[in-house]
Amino acid sequence: MSKKKFTTIYCLSLLIPLLLLLFPLFSLGNRSTPMVIGLPFSVFWVILWIIIAFLIVLALYRIDPDKDETEGN
Amino acid sequence: MADWQIAMVMMVGYLIVALVIGVMAGRGQDKGSLNEFAVAGGKLGLIVMWFLMGGAVFSAFSFLGAPGWAYSQGAPALYILTYTAFAILPWYIIGPKIGKIGRKYNIYTVSGFLKKRFGGRVLPILIGLIALLASIQYLATQMKGMAYIFNIMTEGRIPFWLGALLSYGIVVVYVATGGLRAAAWSDVFQGLLMIIISWVVGLAIVNQLHNSISSMFNELIESNPGFLEIGNAGSTMSPMAYTTTILVSLIGFLMWPHLFSKSYASNARTIKKTVLIYPVFALFLIPLLLVGFAAVNVVNSSELGSPDEILPYLITTALSLPGWVYGLVGAGALAAAMSTADAITHSASLEFTDGVIKNIKADISDKSTLLIMRIGVFVIGALAYFITVFGGQGLIALLLGAYGSIVQFAPGVYGALYSKRATAPAIITGLIVGTVVNYYYQLVAPVTPFDIHAGILGLICNVIIVIVVSTLTQVKDVKIATEYRNIG
Repeated sequence: MSKKKFTTIYCLSLLIPLLLLLFPLFSLGNRSTPMVIGLPFSVFWVILWIIIAFLIVLALYRIDPDKDETEGN
Repeated sequence: MADWQIAMVMMVGYLIVALVIGVMAGRGQDKGSLNEFAVAGGKLGLIVMWFLMGGAVFSAFSFLGAPGWAYSQGAPALYILTYTAFAILPWYIIGPKIGKIGRKYNIYTVSGFLKKRFGGRVLPILIGLIALLASIQYLATQMKGMAYIFNIMTEGRIPFWLGALLSYGIVVVYVATGGLRAAAWSDVFQGLLMIIISWVVGLAIVNQLHNSISSMFNELIESNPGFLEIGNAGSTMSPMAYTTTILVSLIGFLMWPHLFSKSYASNARTIKKTVLIYPVFALFLIPLLLVGFAAVNVVNSSELGSPDEILPYLITTALSLPGWVYGLVGAGALAAAMSTADAITHSASLEFTDGVIKNIKADISDKSTLLIMRIGVFVIGALAYFITVFGGQGLIALLLGAYGSIVQFAPGVYGALYSKRATAPAIITGLIVGTVVNYYYQLVAPVTPFDIHAGILGLICNVIIVIVVSTLTQVKDVKIATEYRNIG
């Protein structure tokens, strides 16, 4: 995979969880009930997508063509 | 021993350890090297880098402000989690690129980065000045936090001026002697301390007040409907304000010189791995928000001077916890404030020397530059200290405006990285107009159109101007422009 393609995939796949935490899409999670694992739905929604974003970055790092580059252009 | 004595012994003990670690870290390194002082020779490891970036985010604001937001605003406090987790992500792509450009052209600041690409002296001087004013504002906030925590945890026995002097004096000493490496190693110690303390104390407070997290939230939903939602009846913030506040923090985050410059301090692999584990730092903030939610309906807001006082108020007054808890929270808050203050002081001195002084008086040797930077640490420290202790309304407005203007660097930085066509006049006019618009809506106008954040309004004008003026003007140095774009 080329570096350029990786950059595109990186940006697009992380834009999704971000957009879900901003309005207008945040309306999906913007409610206090139901409670999930002891948290109001809005709090749970934010934490959920942060964890998913974290997992996406982990997965992206595995397919990064340049992850072991040390230096050089 | 009385509670305040235990707290004071613990906090002073913490300060001594922080000083020793900071000074020890700088030992054995080349004291005469500008590169070592500025970017630790470009060789910081993963753990150190992670805490250095995390420590800068975990500030007095997280320890005092985050519980204050949750307590007084409710759900809008979630913006802190969202922006902390996402703001670092672009660094995975741009960090290694900036690092390579920096090593190729021997750059270690934001102003140096933009000067090389756009030429001239106006842009670096502007960047250096805005960065200096914004950093002093940032430092003053940290110092207020430190002085306040000393004061309240010793039940008023350490006066405001002395608390600020003690804790910030130590920061200035280790940054001036050991440079970035000293700041980084102190942050590892301070980072661990504040994470552990916030979880232990945060969960203990929730349990003492409400038995469990879920019963706390159940009561809160019942008594304050809408408080845990945004924009609905009972909420304290509109959806547009919420969204644009996140955006401005998100875009501005990496433009802060103390974070931007870390791209030069490490290789691509370390930068990527730092980004990888970084969102965990956002989750570390959760217990501090819980503390704020726990205090709603327990503490009457008229008992507090400002919402930021909620965490210390709970510990010293509402819950009457033992003295060692005072000490722990005191040390944790000091650690949070100091680990931010050291990075900011260091970068403000670098940015001002490189952006302003070196562009007014050329031909300064590396040796003199290093000396100016070390002296700069003390001068900036003293300035921030006097502003914190003595204040001054006009000055504070100026600093606040600069603080909000950091995000206006973004078009210049991204233009340099990804566009061959962005030109110097475009970036300079964009920066000036963006900053003026931001100042106007932040400090003069009572409301902003559509409730959009002042920084975003400035940024919109800024971007439009950069695009329009760039099409009307020619890039002077096409070779550098192409190289900036193609590196990495």
